[in-house]
Amino acid sequence: MKKILITMSLILGVVSAHANTSITGTVESRCEVVTDISGYFGNPNAYTLTTLPASNGQIPQIRITSTLANAYKALVSYPTSFSSSPSLSNSVAFTGTVAIASASSSDMSGYAAASTVTNNGAMRTYYLTHAGTIYVTVASTAIHGGNKAFPGGQYVAVAEASCIAQ
Amino acid sequence: MTTPVLGATVQEGMDISGVIYTYNPIKELADDFTVTVQNENAAGDGYIFQDTEDFSGKHPIRIRKVLQLPYVPIENFGRGSIATTGVGSIEDASVIYMYRFDACRNPQNDPSCPDYIPPLPPPIKVYDALDDESVKFATKETDKDLLDDDEDNKQSNEEEEDIDRLEVMLGIAANAFTIANGVTQSSLINTMNSVNMDTYYVARIPSKVYREPLVLKDQGISDNRKVLRSLSNDRLHQTMIEEQYK
Repeated sequence: MKKILITMSLILGVVSAHANTSITGTVESRCEVVTDISGYFGNPNAYTLTTLPASNGQIPQIRITSTLANAYKALVSYPTSFSSSPSLSNSVAFTGTVAIASASSSDMSGYAAASTVTNNGAMRTYYLTHAGTIYVTVASTAIHGGNKAFPGGQYVAVAEASCIAQ
Repeated sequence: MTTPVLGATVQEGMDISGVIYTYNPIKELADDFTVTVQNENAAGDGYIFQDTEDFSGKHPIRIRKVLQLPYVPIENFGRGSIATTGVGSIEDASVIYMYRFDACRNPQNDPSCPDYIPPLPPPIKVYDALDDESVKFATKETDKDLLDDDEDNKQSNEEEEDIDRLEVMLGIAANAFTIANGVTQSSLINTMNSVNMDTYYVARIPSKVYREPLVLKDQGISDNRKVLRSLSNDRLHQTMIEEQYK
């Protein structure tokens, strides 16, 4: 019986042949996000960490390049928490600013005015209506609650930047 | 971008491939304002590149731009400038050129290039004394006026020599008086002494050549036969004495 079945199947295979053909494609993003300048915190007093250069900090800079106009929007946010830190007894208040430091075209001078803010002001969205590059800076300050001194150790906070389709 | 413009030695084989420029425009929103970054074409008319940003009616925003250029020999880059029109200004501007360098385009740039030719040593300058200005000056015919001056100098020298000679003669006369004075004193001493010493002092021994008066002539000397006989006797005597001890 098995032999029959096998035979039949072979006969069927000859009579009605078919194939599945894969169609592949690669889409390369026309938007690129690169860290131009890495940031670090300065420690002007026991309970403050800040990226301000006046406090020996460094404001990070992100380069966002879009080769297509009106195709992408850039989302950039300053940190609202430490990604790693010593154990803290009090809460930490984060403040920050996201701003365009420079651009490759005067046509992008309206980006700041047209940008929108979400996540309690932490995230700013720029609509990339022109092809070109913008350089975005993310300043950040963290103050330990009650003005208590930060415990000794390493503190890491992440400023996020992404490019998504409109 | 020639050497005077660049401020550094421009070597053949350097090509500019791009420009990165940045500046900060200062303007009011409503003002018309354009900024053009450009480089003149040193190999012809016009510009190698011109890039203009129009800020008219726009917010000022710091510009940071990368311009890709086809490879252009650096020799073709003339004076670069940032020109503006309208109401406004720029600050904190910088222009950076990207380049590549082909060291062997001119093989003489690098000894390791295939067609490198070692440079010849510098020519040696041969010194010709006849061309030396100092020698020419020294061998130049003497001026006649200078000869006249020499004659004048010679005449004046002769006069000076006459004067010197007169002084010498006067000096000799003075010495004569001094000698005479000594002689006078000597005569006084002689009169005071009883022994006349003049004969000793004044005596002079005439110089004379004393020649050998004897001349020995070779007349031949014959052998002394008596001596031979004596020697013979002496030998005989000696033999007899020796005989005694035998």
